[in-house]
Amino acid sequence: MKLAATKEMIRTEGLTRKYGAKTAVDGVNLSVREGELFALLGVNGAGKTTTIRMLSCLAVPTAGEAFVDGKSCTKNPEEVKRIIGISPQDTAVAERLTVRENLEFMAGLYSAEKALCRERTEKMTELFHLGEVLDQQARTLSGGWKRKLSIAMAMIGEPRVLFLDEPTLGLDVLARRELWKLIGRLKEKRTIILTTHYMEEAEQLSDRIAILQKGRIRACGTLADIEEKAGVSGLENAFVALAGEEEER
Amino acid sequence: MNRTMVMAWRNRKELLRDPLSYIFCLAFPLVMLAIMTLVNESIPKEAGMTVFRIENLGPGVAVFGQTFLMLFTALNVSKDRAGSFLVRLYATPANSRDFILGYLIPMLEISVMQNAVIYAVSWILSLVTGNPLNAAGLLVSLLVLQISSAMFIGIGLLFGTLFSEKAAPGLCSILISLGSFLGCIWFDAESLGGVMLKICRLLPFYYCTKLGRSSLRLDFGGDVFLLPLLIVTACAVLICTGAAVVFRTRMRADLA
Repeated sequence: MKLAATKEMIRTEGLTRKYGAKTAVDGVNLSVREGELFALLGVNGAGKTTTIRMLSCLAVPTAGEAFVDGKSCTKNPEEVKRIIGISPQDTAVAERLTVRENLEFMAGLYSAEKALCRERTEKMTELFHLGEVLDQQARTLSGGWKRKLSIAMAMIGEPRVLFLDEPTLGLDVLARRELWKLIGRLKEKRTIILTTHYMEEAEQLSDRIAILQKGRIRACGTLADIEEKAGVSGLENAFVALAGEEEER
Repeated sequence: MNRTMVMAWRNRKELLRDPLSYIFCLAFPLVMLAIMTLVNESIPKEAGMTVFRIENLGPGVAVFGQTFLMLFTALNVSKDRAGSFLVRLYATPANSRDFILGYLIPMLEISVMQNAVIYAVSWILSLVTGNPLNAAGLLVSLLVLQISSAMFIGIGLLFGTLFSEKAAPGLCSILISLGSFLGCIWFDAESLGGVMLKICRLLPFYYCTKLGRSSLRLDFGGDVFLLPLLIVTACAVLICTGAAVVFRTRMRADLA
């Protein structure tokens, strides 16, 4: 898919968020196109999660504005919430509900039609290969299964924009690789914003990457653009060169 | 199903699958009912102690059971707030009304079931001890006591919203002890009189028990039924409204 030909799905203009004297996100300008997988990279406290929170109407910007599909996150949050899905950093699932019930529960919050809820539950079960654990309570699942369920729950409203906040955090290599495959499949049909600490993950999955440092964008573009800006090859080297340089100042 | 009922469905399922809710909300009050009935059998009639007679004990234990609904409401809300689960739900089209009613509705349903079981066991015990309870009285009392149940569930929502997962259950435990003591479930404040009775009359718990007992006797007198009904209803409305306002305010603050 030629992303340049698709429409702009996310736009931020001088997006800023302050917590008291601390500026978590500082004048971020972003543009993400439909069908793009956009990765936000940064060390802890760089402002990745705060940016996602503002884009998903979970936090109000101190200054600036964010738009999802042209709708303002501050002025029309209800409309924005209908077209987004979020998988938070912690695996936020209802522990005593089964996998099927968790999916039906989330589907019910997006649609009043029972038949549609069932249909979407079946679709997610198939897409995420959840069949073997479908009638197991979420509290009995392993970390990998919980993550898959968490992303499936974020997807059940059939969002046009999906926010994945560190989706593979704490997973073993095999579970991580399986999730990568899944995310790869999801990105064909929707815009995905992914935050991660893992350079390999961003390299493998994303179309474009933004490196956040102390709430500001230090670099944004394709892997090649970032390598060129940093003057080194490999995302990890580029990240260290760009983010490390700022840290030393 | 609308969003409120979807939220209620989830909360009901989670509560009914927690073995602790059966132990605290059902088994413990029933054990107390059985023990205190045995105690009553051992008290000589000349002592004139009526607090453990089944017509007084049944409604008392029903109110005691309701205090645990407060604990479980607080636990449910504070747990959801502690993790990212509520954050995930905030990003859906559900609004604060859906969340508040979603917490309250299943607890009220469980309250009806809990009180029905306690009254059914009370009725059996009353037959065994040769002092049968009036079925109509049991039904009226069961219905009227749902007002006090709403009050306790409202306190649970308030505590769960305001306090952490660790603090909320602790504070509820204090209130359970205070409520059962100052609600005159285990002793007769009327016969004690003095400062103790004055303190009991300052708090709504005393009126909850009194309302349950008078309605069971089908005694609808002003002092024993109407006044407690008015006080408990006012407290239930005030506390539930207050809890809803606090929840909505906290939700707005979380999203600010």
